[in-house]
Formats: sequence, structure tokens, C-alpha cells
Amino acid sequence: MRLMDRKTILWLIVVALIFSSMPAALGFNMYYVYLAAQIVLMAIMVLAWNIIGGYAGQLDLAATAYLGTGGAVTGLLLTFYGITPWIGMPLGALAAIGLAILVGYPTFRFGIKEVWYALLTASLVVIVQRVFWLIYGSTEIYLPYYEWSWYYLRFGRYEPLYYILVIILLFVLWVNIVIKRSRLGYYLAAIREDELAAEALGIDVRKYKLYALLIYAAILGFVGGIQVSLTSIVTYRMFDPWLAIVVAVVGLIGGLGSIPGVLVAAVVLRTIEEYLRSTLGAVIPGLYLLIYGLLIVIVGVLKPEGIGGFIESLKRRLRRGGT
Amino acid sequence: MSKVILKVRGVVKRFGGLIAVNKVTFDVHEGEILGLIGPNGAGKTTLFNCITGVYKPEGGRIYFMDEDITGLPPHKIISKGIARTWQKVRPFKKLTVLEAVTVGALLRYRDVEKAREKASEVLEFIGIPKQDFNRLGSEITLIEHKLVDLGRALATEPKLLLLDEVVAGLRPHEMERLAKVLLRIRDELGITLIVVEHVMRFVMNLSERIIVMHEGRKIAEGSPEQVANDPKVIEAYLGTKLV
Amino acid sequence: MAVEPALIVNALLNGIFEGLLYALVALGLALIFGVMDIINFAHGDFVMLGTYFTYIVATALLVDPTLTAFITAPLFFILGIAIYKAVIEPILGAEPLIQIAVTVGLLMILRNTALAIFHAEPRGVPFTFFNVPLRIGPITIVLSRVVAGAISLVLLIIIHLLLTKTTWGIAVRATADDREAAQLMGINIRKVYSVTFGLGIALTAIAATLIMTFSRADPYVGLLYGLLSWVIVAMGGLGGVMGVLWSGLIIGVIESLGMTLVSAGARELFIYLTFLIIIWLRPRGLFGRR
Repeated sequence: MRLMDRKTILWLIVVALIFSSMPAALGFNMYYVYLAAQIVLMAIMVLAWNIIGGYAGQLDLAATAYLGTGGAVTGLLLTFYGITPWIGMPLGALAAIGLAILVGYPTFRFGIKEVWYALLTASLVVIVQRVFWLIYGSTEIYLPYYEWSWYYLRFGRYEPLYYILVIILLFVLWVNIVIKRSRLGYYLAAIREDELAAEALGIDVRKYKLYALLIYAAILGFVGGIQVSLTSIVTYRMFDPWLAIVVAVVGLIGGLGSIPGVLVAAVVLRTIEEYLRSTLGAVIPGLYLLIYGLLIVIVGVLKPEGIGGFIESLKRRLRRGGT
Repeated sequence: MSKVILKVRGVVKRFGGLIAVNKVTFDVHEGEILGLIGPNGAGKTTLFNCITGVYKPEGGRIYFMDEDITGLPPHKIISKGIARTWQKVRPFKKLTVLEAVTVGALLRYRDVEKAREKASEVLEFIGIPKQDFNRLGSEITLIEHKLVDLGRALATEPKLLLLDEVVAGLRPHEMERLAKVLLRIRDELGITLIVVEHVMRFVMNLSERIIVMHEGRKIAEGSPEQVANDPKVIEAYLGTKLV
Repeated sequence: MAVEPALIVNALLNGIFEGLLYALVALGLALIFGVMDIINFAHGDFVMLGTYFTYIVATALLVDPTLTAFITAPLFFILGIAIYKAVIEPILGAEPLIQIAVTVGLLMILRNTALAIFHAEPRGVPFTFFNVPLRIGPITIVLSRVVAGAISLVLLIIIHLLLTKTTWGIAVRATADDREAAQLMGINIRKVYSVTFGLGIALTAIAATLIMTFSRADPYVGLLYGLLSWVIVAMGGLGGVMGVLWSGLIIGVIESLGMTLVSAGARELFIYLTFLIIIWLRPRGLFGRR
């Protein structure tokens, strides 16, 4: 099966080029490069979420539980034991996977879905945050400073981390594309459409939902290590329930399962958020969240397929217009 | 008599205090078309769901190809070779016709390309034209849904196919079309059929053997003519015309 | 560490009155979810909104917060109907995912509007009538909590009677049971839905006024009340008002005992963990009529 056809490779190259050129385009300004890194991070998170939310159709609101777990493992191992993130990040991914199995296995086994799944995952983030807080309190644990260390992944500038994030982004894009066209993708789509019918066609619904969850958790757990290096601190705030909700919301606005839609949504919305935060943020706290809220209400009521749906109907119109 | 592929032995299914299936026993022979009829509430669909794994029976056993399949979950039942269609259509709205059938084919053909090929073959066999392959589940008509449903099930390469009120809501000429397809499925693919049905004409004409259920029990078994003239059956239906 | 029995009884009593109030908070959600199958994530934040309205009215008119209910409840009823028409009705038939997403959006709008207007400092009402501690032997309980619990109980009973004894109530329950059949019998579904939604929201306003007799309004309280409501509905919401009542009591007592026996910081952890376990262990059949 041609998983990587010419068109796909072309698109990936285009995306790679656009993102790679950003630091230069931003004049290597530290502040802007940091922001760009945050934007790429958001794109990674939403694309990872796309696997459990867009493909498997489960409204998971626990993204930061996995992100934070990975970040905590990587950050703490580095700070207290001097262990390189190159080992820490895979361990962080494993920890996230462990958490996902711990929670996901009984959840799917008991057939929890829809609103109860959303509520359960929302509770999960808060629980993990509370547990972290009970251990470390509100202490901020600072990562060690290195001027330029690839071994410890600590740098005086943000460009290296930015490029690592771009590489991870390309990887996650590739994972999304591969899944979509694979047996797993078909099965997840069937599960999303109708679990009962899917089961009658031989799909072990619980197993495949868990697969989707594990892939999503692993990506987040891994990239959590980069996030923690970006912010240079490990705190309970890494397990932000709001950010988890925002990730899901952006995934929905992007259009469930639509890779270009999700990518566009993540980049555009995160950029707008940053702009709002820097201009109005001090004056009106929470404004960007309010706007997110408005957007999701508008999209949900008027165009539930999101940006992806918009892109799809454009494609269809072009196809039909051609004949 | 040809080989018995399905043995239903004293199956009991209760819902709270209500006994929906009450010690039902029968055999299904390879290659036959067996009709399962009975008035509303007779327990046909419940029995159907017991065989396909949606329900776990409280008593009795079910054997397929001499293997005990009682209480197995639906996704294991189908891998053993028993497929089903749905009374209330369950389309994959956002998938195309071809993609929907491919999902079924992926059970036996793990490679997506091969599964798609298999799906194409199945769709052709059923008589869905190539230009309809890319139509979405949300865009097709009822009879097309039924055919795609059939296609999904066929793509899993079953030995036994259970049809749950497959002609409900169809017009007469659509019923004929479906009947022809079902006969081809049995004749050319050698698949055994169990047809649960309310529409008498359809099931009486199609089946070679009929089993009648009433209030959870099997009350008659035989050829369509025998069953149509059985006083117990007539009494159970009480006035409903049988032909 | 030996725990005095008085402490436990104290915790129990507090938990009971707290639980009654929680039941009232959850009642609106149970009604809306039970009748319309609508997953309103924003429920807790309507309570939060209610507390701010109470603050405004109580400060402006200088009255005990409980009395503000006469203004805020009708206001919220109208608000509820307005939101129903604008946001809820269009998504009634949509995928659960979309419903959840839209009400999450609603939640974000409500919370961040409150944040923008009032900022993060909690606001308390100027005075409350009943803020006196009652002492019965070694047991101390604030009178306002008793009053809040009592009023909640009364309201729960009123709603229960409304649902079981009046024609309107029967229409609501019929619609909840079987929407199509109800329609066939001539019940105006849209009217039932909008009124139920309005009532559900009005109930949050009343609960909010009661909360304000002993607590303060802050923008973040929505998450907790929302989750509490969902826990209560998950446990017993489908058992009608009585189910909500019992669940509320259980949750109130668990939380109170948890706070006393373990620590105040663990309060939320307890509730969320309980929630997790309840969702897992609940038998599938009770999960809603989908």
C-alpha cells in the first residue's frame, strides 16, 4: 500500500519548509521564536488528540495529564539525577502510556463513552494535578541551565528546541496520515461511526480504542519533555485542565479527523490567542478563552464539521466543477 | 441430510422476570436457507442476538461447526464465521460505500489494498455499480443501505449469515432484488442463511425450511407448506394471512 | 490520631445539610439531562453566574441573599429559555461530541466573562441574616447552612410534587420517557424542552443564592459544582428527584467526612476520585436512555 504517495510527501516537505523558515523570518528574536515553538507544540498536541478524538471519536479532555506526566518525568530525572532527556523523554512517554493503560483499560472495558468519558478524563487531569500538588506543593522546580547542550537538551536560545519540535510535528503528521490509511484507521472510523456495527464486523472495540489512547498518550508524554525544557520549570501548572479542554476544542474546530483542518486550526487559533494575550491579556484576563468558547459554540451550532469540513466541501466543489 | 453447522440447544434468555427465549433447540444444515418466523414478541430477535453474541443466554448452549460459541462477544463470533445484518440500518454515514465494506473485509485481509479489492469484488457481486462506490453512507437510499450492510457482512467471508428483518421497509421490486442476491449468496458462495422475517411472502418463498417461534418457544418446524398449515402456527398468528 | 465522636457527628450533620444543597444544585442538571438527553457541561458555571447575580442584587438592595432569589430566579428562567432557543435547540440532534463541545464552549464563555468583569477576587455579600453558629452541646453548625439545607429540601419536594402530581409534570416525564410517543399524544415537545431548560437554570439561581449565604462568588467555582452535579446525576439522577436527593446526601457526607478525617486540601481529590469510581462501577443499564 502506498502510504507515502508523492502528493503526501510534497505536502510534508512544504509544511517542513514553512515551519523551518520561521525562526529566520522572525529575525531570530528570542521572544518570537519562543512563541513559534509554543505554536508548533500546540499543533503537535492537537494532532495527537486527533487520534483519540478525531479518529476514535472519544472526547478526551486529559491531554495535559499525559503531557505533564511526561514533562514531570523528564524534568525531574534531569534536575535531580542528571539523566539526559534523550532517556528521560522515552521514559516520560512510557509513564504516560502507563497512566493511559491504568485509566483507559477499565474505562473502555466498562464501555464508558460520550459525556461520561469526557467527564472522567476531565477529572483525571485534576486528580493528577492534585496528586502532584500533594507531593510537591506549589514549588517551582527549575531545570539546570546549560548554554548549549545537546546532551541535556538545554540551550541559551530557543532555536534548537524549536527545530526539534518541528521534526516531532512532521513525525506526528506522518503518524496521523499512516493511521488514517491503515487498518487501524478504518477500524477507528467504524468505531466512531457506530460501535455496535463495528463490533459485528469483528472489531474489538475496546482494544482499538485503547490503541488510539496509547498512541496519543505516548506522543504527549514524549513531547512533554520538550515542553518542560522550553519553560525550564516543573510545576503543578503543567497539568492544566484548561489547556486540555482547549486542545480538544481546537481539535473540534479543526474538524474531527481532518489533518489539514486540525493543523490550520491549531496554528491560527494559537497565534490569535497569543496576540490577544499580549494585547488585551493584562487588561481582560481570560479573553482568549472567551473567544475560544464563542468560536466553538458558533462552529458547533453552524458548522459542526469544522475547518476540515470546510476544506472537504471545497475539495468536492473543485472536483465536481472540473467535470 | 447435509452437515449440521449450527446447533442451538435449549437456549434460555431472561430479562428480569420475563423469559424471552424459552429452551429453544434446533439445527441448521450447511447450505440451507432457514426461515425464522413468529408473531411480535416471539423472541426471534432475542434468539438472533444470543447467537450473534449481543446477549449472553442464561441457559443452554450454541455450537457452531462443533465448537461451543455460547456467550462469546460479537467480534469473536464473527471471526468464527457467523455474520449478521441489521434490522434498523446502521450505516457508516461519513464513510463511502467502498470504505464501509472494506471495514468488513479487513477482518480476513489485513492489508488495506487487498481488503479494498475484496470489497470491490463483494460490491460487484451484490450488484452495486462502480460509480456508487464513492458515495457516502449519508447519501444512499434504503435498499442501497441494505445491500451495503449485506456487503459488509459478506466481506468477512462468513459461513453462516443471519439476516434480521432484511426487507423491512422495502418495496416489492426491491424485495425481489434482495431475494435474488440472497439466492446467489447461497448458490454461488455456499453460505448458509438464517432469515428472521415478518414479511411472509418473502420468507416463505425464499426459505426451504421454516422454524416458528411463539412466546419464546419453538412451536413448529418444517417446510413452508407444512408450517403454513400447522394449526398451532395459525393459532399463534390468529388471523394473520400466511401467504 | 483519635477522632472525637463529636467531630464525626459534626461532620455528618454538616455533610447532610451540604448534601441537600448539592442535591438542589444537581436537580437542574438532572431535569435537563433526563428530559432532553442534553449534556450540559456548563451547568456548574450557571451556578457560578448565579452567585454573581446574587452578589450584585444583594449589594444593590442590601438584603439577605436568599431574598434575591425572587429576582434572580425568574431572570434565570428567562435566560435559560433564551439560551435554549439560541444554542441548545440547534444541537439537539447533533452528535454527543458536538453537544459536549458546544456546552463546553458555553462554559468557557460564562467563566471568562465573569473573570473579565469581576477578576479573580471572590466577592461576598454585605450581610446575611443567618450567619450565626448554632451550638447543640459539642456540636456546632452555622445556621445559614441549616437554612440552606432546609430550603433545598423544600424545593426538592416541590419539584417532586410538580413532576408527579401536575399535568405539566406528567407531560415532562412522558417526554423524558419516550419523545415520539409524547409527540403523538399531542404534547408540544419544544415547549416542554424550553420550559424544562428554563426551570433547570432557574434552579441553579436559587441554589446560588443559598450558596451565597455562607460562601463567596468566584469565577472558578463552576468546575467543582459542575462536577458535583454530574457525580450526583451519575449516581442517582435517573431515579427522579428522590434519586438526586439521596445521591446528594451521600456525596455531601462523603465530602464532609473526607475533609474532617483526612485534610481540607484533599477535599476535591476525594470528590473527583469518587466520581471516577462511580463512573467505572455503575452498571451499564443505568447510564441514560441513549
